[in-house]
This record gives sequence, C-alpha cells and structure tokens, in this order.
Amino acid sequence: MSPRLAAAEPGFAGLAAIMAGQPLHEAGPAGPGAEAAALGFTLALAATWVGPAGLFWAGEDAAFGEEGGPYPVGLAQYGVALDQLIVVRAKKRDEALWAAEQALAARGAVVICALGAQGKPLDLKASRRLLLFAERSGSRCLLLQPENGPSAAWTRWRIAPAESASEDPRDLGLTAFAAELTRNRAGPSGARFTLEWNAHEHSFAERSQEKCEAVLRPEARQA
Amino acid sequence: MNGARWLAIYLPRLATDRLIRSGRAPDDDRALVVYAKQANAYQLTGVDARASALGLRLAMSLADARAMQPSLEAVEADPEEDNRALDNIAAWCERFTPVVVLDSPEGLFLDITGCGHLFGGEEQLRQHIVTRLRAQGFVSRAAIAPTPGAAWAFARHATQKPANLRDQLQASLTDTNEGVAAKLSPLPVEALRLDPQPAALLRRLGLKTIGQVMQAPRASFTARAGAQAMLRLDQALGRAQEALTPRRPAPMVFALRRFVEPIFSAEAVLRVAEDLCADAAEKLELRGAGVLRAELILFGVDGRDRVIGVNVSRPLRAVKPLMRLFREKLNVIAENLDAEFGFEAARLDVVRLATIDESARTLAGVEETAASAEQISSIVDVLSARLGPKRVLRAQVHDEHAPERAAGWRSALGKPKKSGPVVKPARDGVQRRPIRLFAPAQTIEVMASVPDGPPIRFRWRRVTREVVRAEGPERIAGDWLKREIMRDYYRVEDKQGRRYWLYREGHYGEGDAAPRWFVHGLFA
Repeated sequence: MSPRLAAAEPGFAGLAAIMAGQPLHEAGPAGPGAEAAALGFTLALAATWVGPAGLFWAGEDAAFGEEGGPYPVGLAQYGVALDQLIVVRAKKRDEALWAAEQALAARGAVVICALGAQGKPLDLKASRRLLLFAERSGSRCLLLQPENGPSAAWTRWRIAPAESASEDPRDLGLTAFAAELTRNRAGPSGARFTLEWNAHEHSFAERSQEKCEAVLRPEARQA
Repeated sequence: MNGARWLAIYLPRLATDRLIRSGRAPDDDRALVVYAKQANAYQLTGVDARASALGLRLAMSLADARAMQPSLEAVEADPEEDNRALDNIAAWCERFTPVVVLDSPEGLFLDITGCGHLFGGEEQLRQHIVTRLRAQGFVSRAAIAPTPGAAWAFARHATQKPANLRDQLQASLTDTNEGVAAKLSPLPVEALRLDPQPAALLRRLGLKTIGQVMQAPRASFTARAGAQAMLRLDQALGRAQEALTPRRPAPMVFALRRFVEPIFSAEAVLRVAEDLCADAAEKLELRGAGVLRAELILFGVDGRDRVIGVNVSRPLRAVKPLMRLFREKLNVIAENLDAEFGFEAARLDVVRLATIDESARTLAGVEETAASAEQISSIVDVLSARLGPKRVLRAQVHDEHAPERAAGWRSALGKPKKSGPVVKPARDGVQRRPIRLFAPAQTIEVMASVPDGPPIRFRWRRVTREVVRAEGPERIAGDWLKREIMRDYYRVEDKQGRRYWLYREGHYGEGDAAPRWFVHGLFA
C-alpha cells in the first residue's frame, strides 16, 4: 500500500497531505450538536482540494436539515468557491449515492456525499462503490454521515466544535474543531487535533495534538 | 410553392359521430340529428348517416324534420363539446406530424411535408388516417395538396360524385403542384373557403366555379366580396402565403418513426429513441446547432401520448450523451410508462436549440488532468434528468441586505445569471455569515441577557445554551417598504464551542413587549 509512508511534514499538515492522495474519507459529528462542525470540517477539506473539475455536494434531503439549507454567502466566506460548487439534493439515500457516483466520474472532482440521521449507516458495499468510482477517475470522495458503519474509507474523523482561542469574550476568531482520527487504513488511529480553519489562507492551523507521532510514523509503531 | 404538402381533414358528421361514440345516441334504428337555434328557428346543424339516408339535410328546420320523421332523435348542438372532440382528434393526429392546425368547426390541417415516406407514401398516409378515424367512429374525408387551401377544397368538394370516387381520389386528391389550378377549376366557388355572403354574391354575379373566378378580371371584384375570394384563391394556388397557427408550437427540428408492430418494452423505446436522436443530430448538424430541450413523444395505440422531456445545460447533439439522459429519465418513469397497448409511433421534438460554438471545443489528444466544463455539464444534465432540475443547484448571490434574500439556489441547467456580487473570504479568515441559514429563522427563548446586548443564556430546541463569547451587534435594516423590522445580529459561541447567528428584532425598550430573539443560522 503506497500511502503507508511517513509524512514529509509533521502534524496535521502532514496527515492532510497524505489524505489528499487517497480517494475516500469519512467524517461525522462526535456527538449531538456537532453536526455543523462535522460539515465545516468536511467543507474545509473539500475547499483545500478542489480543482478545475469542481466540488459536488450530493446529499439526501435529511442531511441538509429540515428547515433552510446551505447558505451561499456563508459558504463563500468559508472558502468554498461558489462558481465551482454544485449542490445535489436527493429525496432518498440511494439517489444521493447514485448522484455522488455520477459526480465521481468527473476526473479530479471533489465530491461530498452527505447522509442524514435517519436510517442505518452506509454499508460496506456502498462505501466500496464510492471508493471504486473515485479510484477509477482520480476523483475524491468525502463521506459525511452521523453514525459509524463498516467502511472502505481511508480515514474516518469524529469532529466536535472547539472553543475559540480568543481571550476576548467579544471576539469569536477563527472556526475551531476538535478532530479525532478514529480510523486510518494507512496506519494506527487515535490521534486528536485541535484545529483552526483560516478561510482566507485555505489552511488548517494546529493548536494542539495528541498521539500524532504514531499516526504519522506507522512503521515505527509496527516495529 | 416550396414543396410543402398539406393534408386537410374534413369531418362532415363530427357532431353526430361524437354523440354516437359517447353512447348518447339512440341504440335503436332511429335517425339522429343535432339542432341549434338560428334566426329564431331551430335548424339542423348535424345529421347522421341514417338521417341523411331518410332525406334530412342540414339547415332544414327541426319542425320540418320532425314532420318527415316523427321518430327522430334530436339533440341540441354543443359547439364546445364538438370543439373538444376536434381537439382530441388533432392531438391524435400529432403522431403523423408535429404541425396540426385546428380548422374549426369540423376540419384539420396537417403539414405533412417530408412525412409521407414514413407511411409508404402520401396516399397510404391519407388512407391510413381516414381508416383509423373511421375505426374510432368518425367519418372523414381527406385530401393532400401543396397548399392548405387546395387541400381544403379537394377534401370537401372533390368527392361529391360518388360514381368515380375511387379514380378521383387517386387522380386529384394527392396531386402535385402542377395542375392544382386545373383541378380546382371545376369546383364550386364555396370550395374557396368563403364566408356565406361572399359566396352568395359570387353566385349572383354568375361565378359558380373556381375556374370562372380565375378567369374573371381581377379589377372588377369589389372589396366587399372580392377581396376574400381573391385572397383565398391566391392562397389555394400558393401565390399568397397563409400563416396558420399550429395547435402546439412546431418544434425547430423533429424526427418521426412509425412502427409496423406496436412496441412495448423500455428497451425497444430506447432503441427507437436512439434512431430518432441520430436523425435529429443530422438535421442539427446542418444548422450547426445542438439540443437544449428535447421531448420524446410516444404515441400509444390507445390514442394517448407520453412525453419524456430532457434538458441540457449546453447545446448538445451527440447521440450518446443524449441517450444517457433519456435512459436516466426512462429509469425513473419506466413503471409509469403504462405501455399496456403498446406504442405505434414515436417522435423526437427539439423544442429548444442553440448554436454550438465549434471553435470552443477542446482539441482531441490533449491529456486531460481534470474533467472539462463539457463533462461537468453533461453530469449536471444526467443528474437533472433523473432527480429533476430543482434538485441540482448552483448558488446565486444577490445584491440585497436582508440575509434571506442575499443568496439563493437555482437550477444548474440554465445559464448562470451574471452581475451577482462576488463574495470572498475575509482577510482575517473569520466568518461573518453562517454556512447554514434557517428559513424562516427559529424563535429562541432568551433567559438572561445584557440590556441592549447579546444573550447570556438561551434555550433552543429544548436545550439551554450558555453563551461564552458574543460579537455584535451588526445592524441590518429591513426593507422599510415591506415594513420589515430592523434586526441586531450577534455571532455567539456557547460553552461547547458551537456557534450561532442570533438576532433581536427591534430595539430594547421599544413598546412594552420584550424583544423577540431568533437563531437565523449556524456556523461551523
């Protein structure tokens, strides 16, 4: 497995660089009330990866929330280029998966496949299909679902919002996440990061990390 | 005359045929007539075959008719119902050509230019239509000519001598341009589609046939009667253009197939669709154009049609991607295709088209590292075909103050609307607008707050949230024309780090009521 290699950069930046070369990743909220954070983390990864083939965001209605939905002005401020974004709102889960597969056929595309809280987590077969479609055309898929299931994803992340680093109670500062790597096909998992998303720089800054060494140097741990 | 071919259908017994067909006629041997009040008297406006055989004629008074045939069944005319029946027949005729013109009260025009060969020739098509109408209970006469006017004349007046009907049909009804004038000559002036008064006037002037009108000096016609006669004559001879309005707008390009045996399966429909797409593609290539919207119309043996429409985001004429769209669309509706009796014909209409800019196409052989704009739009087309255009969306930002009106989503199929403001991330990388907006904003219960400031604690979705940080207010004035109340927005973070976009409606201390608070969106 070629991605089983040590990162050139330390910390989350190194891990993110390895992830960028893999076709399927999964993210979900660490608990109730963390859905917006999980979506934010997924969108941020997509925004850093997106290329000329654009970003597809395919989800079932339940995944977009029952009232209202994605807000273009906020998305643009978040670093998502609106002219590259195509949102697909499917009525049912199998339609959302089908739409994601269609979009993955676009070479180089980034595809967010968002599932709602209703129903079971995605099964292994369906996640393998996403992986295959992405591998075949060199596109990347980010699977966003509230619950864990068996999965063909290379990494799986549980995301919670993190408190702002700001000392001033009248200043919110950058968007912050507590991200836990709960699964890693390329090596050990368990690393935790506190990350800040800078929409202007299109990059994550790392505020703290735990157990990161082992994740980034799988060979060392196996030895 | 430009090679156009028109087929005129005349339904002499439409009113009585309709009644018999719908079972509202006597089931015994009695004759059926239809009457209407004309000039203070009831007159016959329709007679069925039996009544006709008994000597009952149109325009005869109902009283006279009853005197002749006391057992007569008489029904009052219902022109609206007759027109509906005519429109149904017109709809059925669209399986022969997309251009069907209603010629009320009892006729139709079909533009069959280039359609004859699909039916083994024009005469076969004509006979096919008459036979099929007969099977549906409608007596009809049909004729083909280079102009609607001439076809009309032949359909109504050339078959009046039953003796050599057959020969006459063969010889004159499906005539070519030459000799139209000669064929029209012996027909009565009424064959010129004249109103009753001009026709009567011509007859008083001694002009009884079209030939006599043709030979009469043009200048001698008075405006009153002559203008219409001259116009109709010129139209019949193709010397004057006649603008007819089809029942449905004619497609810019279409392709038509008729099947010897009805087809039933989705696979067969797809095969036909592929043929039709190839036909249409050839025609589109001549125009240098591609499809923006195409409709596949399947004509059921039961007389009903099914329309399957696909939309394309940029003009397309290659068969393969077009077929992909039809396949997706058929996947969705296959169970509703309802091909119980099968389909006997299919037509592909290109309803909207646009020029293809050949110079803008990518060069073949260039190594592609990312999907091209064309590939992306073809994916958008497929997604829209299956899920519906309202479910495949692009963002649209508007120049508006109210957050709920400042942005929206539109179908990714159409052309992007320009001139919307471009939103970029702030220099400090901080977000001032949420990634999710509630529509409408949701009420929250503020349990403690700084006067004229942000809440300290609030309840939303049955959970109490402690505010740790708050930024604001950002004042957004509503549209005063719509009497919207001004709002003060705050970005707040709770103890868990969750971030909300809250607003208070109006000022503190305005009136006696406590200010109302809302959550309008969520930040990541």
